[in-house]
Amino acid sequence: MALDIGSGLALIGAGLAMGIAGLGTGIAQSQTGAAAVGATAEDPKMFIRGIILMAIPETVVILGFVVAFLLLGKV
Amino acid sequence: MLRPEKMTRTVIVGSIEGVDATVECLYDLGVLHLIDFTRPDEEFQLGQPLAGASDASQRLLKLRSMIRSLELEEHEPAAKVPEAEIDNIIEQALVTLDLNTTKKVEAKLKIQSMIRERESEISAVTPFIPFGIPIEYYSGYDNITAITGTCSDDPEADLSSKVGDFELFTEKLKSEVTVALFVKTGDRAEAARILSQHGYQELKVPKMEGSPNVIVERNTKDIAGLQKNLDRAEKDIEAIRKKFADFIIASEEDLSIEVLKAETPLRIAESANSFVIDGWVPESIMAKMRERLDNESCGRVYVESLESQKEEEPPVKLKHSRAVRPYELFINLVSTPKYTEIDPTIVLFVTFPIFFGFMMGDLGLGAGLVAMGLFLRFTSKSASMRRLGIIVVVAGSMSALFGLFVYCEAFGVPFHPPAENPTEHAWSSLVNIPLHPIIDKLVDVKELLAISLAAGWMHLTIGLGFGMANNWEHKKHALGKLAWILLLFGIFEEIMSVAGNSTVTSKLFNQTLFSPLPSTIVLIIGVKVSVPALVFALVGIAALLVTEGAVVLTEVLSIFANLVSYARLAALAVGHGAMGLAFNTMLFPVILGDNIALSILGALALGASVVFFIFLLGSLSIGIQAIRLNYVEFFLKFFEGGGTDFSPLRYSRKYSVETT
Repeated sequence: MALDIGSGLALIGAGLAMGIAGLGTGIAQSQTGAAAVGATAEDPKMFIRGIILMAIPETVVILGFVVAFLLLGKV
Repeated sequence: MLRPEKMTRTVIVGSIEGVDATVECLYDLGVLHLIDFTRPDEEFQLGQPLAGASDASQRLLKLRSMIRSLELEEHEPAAKVPEAEIDNIIEQALVTLDLNTTKKVEAKLKIQSMIRERESEISAVTPFIPFGIPIEYYSGYDNITAITGTCSDDPEADLSSKVGDFELFTEKLKSEVTVALFVKTGDRAEAARILSQHGYQELKVPKMEGSPNVIVERNTKDIAGLQKNLDRAEKDIEAIRKKFADFIIASEEDLSIEVLKAETPLRIAESANSFVIDGWVPESIMAKMRERLDNESCGRVYVESLESQKEEEPPVKLKHSRAVRPYELFINLVSTPKYTEIDPTIVLFVTFPIFFGFMMGDLGLGAGLVAMGLFLRFTSKSASMRRLGIIVVVAGSMSALFGLFVYCEAFGVPFHPPAENPTEHAWSSLVNIPLHPIIDKLVDVKELLAISLAAGWMHLTIGLGFGMANNWEHKKHALGKLAWILLLFGIFEEIMSVAGNSTVTSKLFNQTLFSPLPSTIVLIIGVKVSVPALVFALVGIAALLVTEGAVVLTEVLSIFANLVSYARLAALAVGHGAMGLAFNTMLFPVILGDNIALSILGALALGASVVFFIFLLGSLSIGIQAIRLNYVEFFLKFFEGGGTDFSPLRYSRKYSVETT
């Protein structure tokens, strides 16, 4: 299957969108997650607040997924 | 279903003689959530415990200490003991038990400590056995010092070159050398310095007399004798345990209940001649409670329902059918809903299994989850684990259904090879299942995305609708929620219009829900924007400005992020499918190869990776995502929580039987 250079670039872009977004989310979640586990250990009532704070950076990787997916459509 | 059980504020008033019977009757009914009396005045004071409370407490204390000393905490009685039997013999039994148990347990502890003492003597003298010198000879000289300890190697050569007179005893052990060095007191510092170069660590000479061998022998003999005594004591205790264990546990339970009842008046108001019990009762049981109290107190008790004040928050008793009840577990993890709030359990009951099934969608793994859930349900002792078991069974069944009818795959292997990849391994080479996938996880990604966003739109709209209902009395906030619904509708319409006819889902929405709307499109910075969507969004934003103020504009984008967040449903379905395909593509050629040993290894590797990565880690992450969508996206639209759980006067008997 031969691909033109544009499609190749689009595929690389899709990979980058997914990968870098995932990295960003990972960095953010490593910090909120650690803090959330600590807070929940002290007071189990913090569980839901912890999950909500953990969830905020997740949007980034999901946007990355959507962008990657839109780019795949261009191939 | 969406509202908790309706509560009535109830006051029970009666003459003081009737307090025993009333408390007894209330515990039997188990329907009154007592409000503690906290404001004593000249007339009404906190009540007095019922007769017998202090006796019962003392007996309870004794029983509990016995349970600890006989190590009966985990004991499960084989048979239930009738209450009458406990009442008849408890006093006599406690005296007998107290005499026997205390003495025997004390004796046992004493013997154990004596054995420990002797064992520590043995271990203290053991290193000195090889030197054959009586222990008292290591000390008590005017001019000679004994240094005892261990070194990493033999220090004799160094000592002879630097210290004049000395006598050294050594015993080589596995990795070190035990040394006993006798030097003139004047050479002590030098000798210590040399020894420290050889990794010296001090061994204290025990304060004893006699040859180490004799000491060890004597102690070993003592221990053997003591051990016999200990065995005898343990046998005696075991006999007591066998005879009385059931009785002790049942009596402890019975007395706990008695004390609980007897101390209840401490929470109610009493005057010289009357008592007042204040609390909440489910409206549906009110009539029954009135009748029972009337009968049992011969009309001496008066029950009155009060109009509840607005600032008083009744306790919350969630009201669900048996099928929905396990999902209360998810609500309890967050917080009990307020009495005035909508209880979202029913939505979790619907969405959690569907989201889970949509993401997992695999016949084999679903069946595995059902088995795991059943195991949890029938073997677990904790009630919440049993509830979790049921949730897992339902989620697993839903995955199996999705796997069977929608995705047509089991253990990550499709029923038939997909048209895009005819060489892919499939079940069709073993068994022909006449079902073809409606959606292929790895091909119809766009369709999966459209379904996810549609599900997200519905879920969020329901959440905002609940928010409207919760805020019904504050019209402005209720309108604010409506504004969010409009804005969300606009965003969803725009997404579906961009998708156009490229997916079945968007086509369906465009032809039904959105068909009355004009399909005019304008170009804004090169992006096609549907005019009705734009109108809905702008009206929504304008309404938000009016109802919630300008600050809310900063959050307008968050509703878009909330909707896009549901794309995780598609993402996990695709990711899960791709992971299965990756393992299968790597390991199937090995399994189907000619080398039998390699085939077996490959099959084991595939089995392990499917179980660990796809089944265990996969279902864990999918479960978290399915519940997270509810907690974060859905709950934040309406849920406040912070209600008080309904906890009526009640007790449970497991090991004793009430006798009337």
